Amino acid sequence: MNKVIFELRNVCFSYHGKFPALRGIDISIGQGQKITFIGANGSGKSTLLHLLDGLIFADKGSIKFFGEELNERCFSDANFSRIFRRAVGLVFQNSDVQLFCPTVKEDIVFGPLQLGIERKEIESRLERVTSILNLNNLFERSPHQLSIGEKRKVAIASTLMINSDVLILDEPTAGLDPLTARHIIDLLLQENQSGKTIITSTHDLHIVEEISDTVYVLGQEKNIVATGSPEEILRDSRLLEDNNLVHIHTHRHKDKMHIHSHQHLEHHQ
Amino acid sequence: MSKGNNFIEYSIAGALSFLKESIFADEYATKEGFLQSLDPRIKVITFLLFISAILFTKSITISLCLYAICLALAYFSNVNMWFFLKRTWIFIPIFSLFIAIPAIFNIFTPGEVLFTLKLLGLKLIITQQGLFTAVLFVTRVIASVSFAVLLSITTKHFALLKVLRIFGIPQVFVMTLGMCYRYIYLFLEVVENTYLAIKSRVGTRLHYKKGQQIIAWNISSLWHRSYYLNEAVYNAMLSRGYTGEPALLNDFRVKSKDWVWLFFTTVFFVILLYLNRK
Repeated sequence: MNKVIFELRNVCFSYHGKFPALRGIDISIGQGQKITFIGANGSGKSTLLHLLDGLIFADKGSIKFFGEELNERCFSDANFSRIFRRAVGLVFQNSDVQLFCPTVKEDIVFGPLQLGIERKEIESRLERVTSILNLNNLFERSPHQLSIGEKRKVAIASTLMINSDVLILDEPTAGLDPLTARHIIDLLLQENQSGKTIITSTHDLHIVEEISDTVYVLGQEKNIVATGSPEEILRDSRLLEDNNLVHIHTHRHKDKMHIHSHQHLEHHQ
Repeated sequence: MSKGNNFIEYSIAGALSFLKESIFADEYATKEGFLQSLDPRIKVITFLLFISAILFTKSITISLCLYAICLALAYFSNVNMWFFLKRTWIFIPIFSLFIAIPAIFNIFTPGEVLFTLKLLGLKLIITQQGLFTAVLFVTRVIASVSFAVLLSITTKHFALLKVLRIFGIPQVFVMTLGMCYRYIYLFLEVVENTYLAIKSRVGTRLHYKKGQQIIAWNISSLWHRSYYLNEAVYNAMLSRGYTGEPALLNDFRVKSKDWVWLFFTTVFFVILLYLNRK
């Protein structure tokens, strides 16, 4: 079996100690896996990803990274912090948050510069990442001059530059046109084939099957309500309906009106 | 908003257009031209030499020559002359002209009489020394303002910020300024969109008190957003390995053209200093 990277046991988290965001989360993530968290808005997906990236810490329960407990204390050790940040990269849901430098180029190289990666290595990574994402002509632009799709690509590039073993993505295709979304999915699959672990949160069921080995469904109670392969999860219409992941709508076939839940699994069969 | 009570609308529109114009000015920095092709550090040093020469000179001719050099540099850098003159002559030089006018009279600058004016029974004497002082003052202001404006419009804003590092400004300060530059535009968009959203829902007629309430509420909402953004951006920085000591990219490259330009400007500066001593 693959090495376990993250192990979460009975993890609970609340904002300001008052507003629960996650309850009793038990997850195990192995090296090279493709994991997807699906759930409606406000189900705690982003919070869970921030916990995995060591940006916030659990109120209760334990999160282990390669068997070592993740807490605020271990991040005060500069050596551990550097190792962890080199190993785990997060693409934020809001690209405007992630792109804080005055130019695209500075944003892309920010991570490797902080992590003390050598200049030559940064340059070769820059060349590789920007040619994959076709960003060469955006280098001197300011992030405010970019479209949503370009911003998302730059945010992904800035995380890919770290060359981390674990890639965490918070709704990577939200608000993107189909072609850009496809491009990003292809890139994630490619990264996974090269051995990287891909952890994604989304409520876009179209992409779940492709980007997951295991799917976790987060419910309105901020807990995990189901786990399984993408086929198992996407086939369970009741589960998806109960968790606001599919909707019931009416549409016309020739002269007949149909009312049924709307999902897209059939397209992949 | 109702007629007569729409100063808020004008203020927002004015502030937005001013900031937008600043973005527009960045267009010259991306054009191909002589100044744009120079290394920003060399450019800043040589412009400081020019401005120092203007401050040290006691000659109107030298001051005007320096102004002519500035205009020539603007021309060879593909800067639209009308845009440049408008930007440099509005406010500062005009105000300096008003400030300089009293200096031409013998009350402030005694000296040889050039000619006499009679205004409302008052005898005003314009002295040669007074006129010289006033003209020198105005030419100095216009030349230095022009160099400063030319530097800012032919250099990308972030490059100017990075140049601060050569003067020993701490990296964290430079980075903070860079982030301010970055997020001013984000908030500018938020303000613009919020204003449009209000307009689309309330139409054009609104009691000024209600208008003030909406604006006050939006100021507080913007503050909340910036507070949230501050926390989120810090997390994004931590996620990419930031530990409190930022390492910034230094991609400046000094070419032989830069050295030649620096050499000639320095020689020119030394000659001007020599002429000034004579």
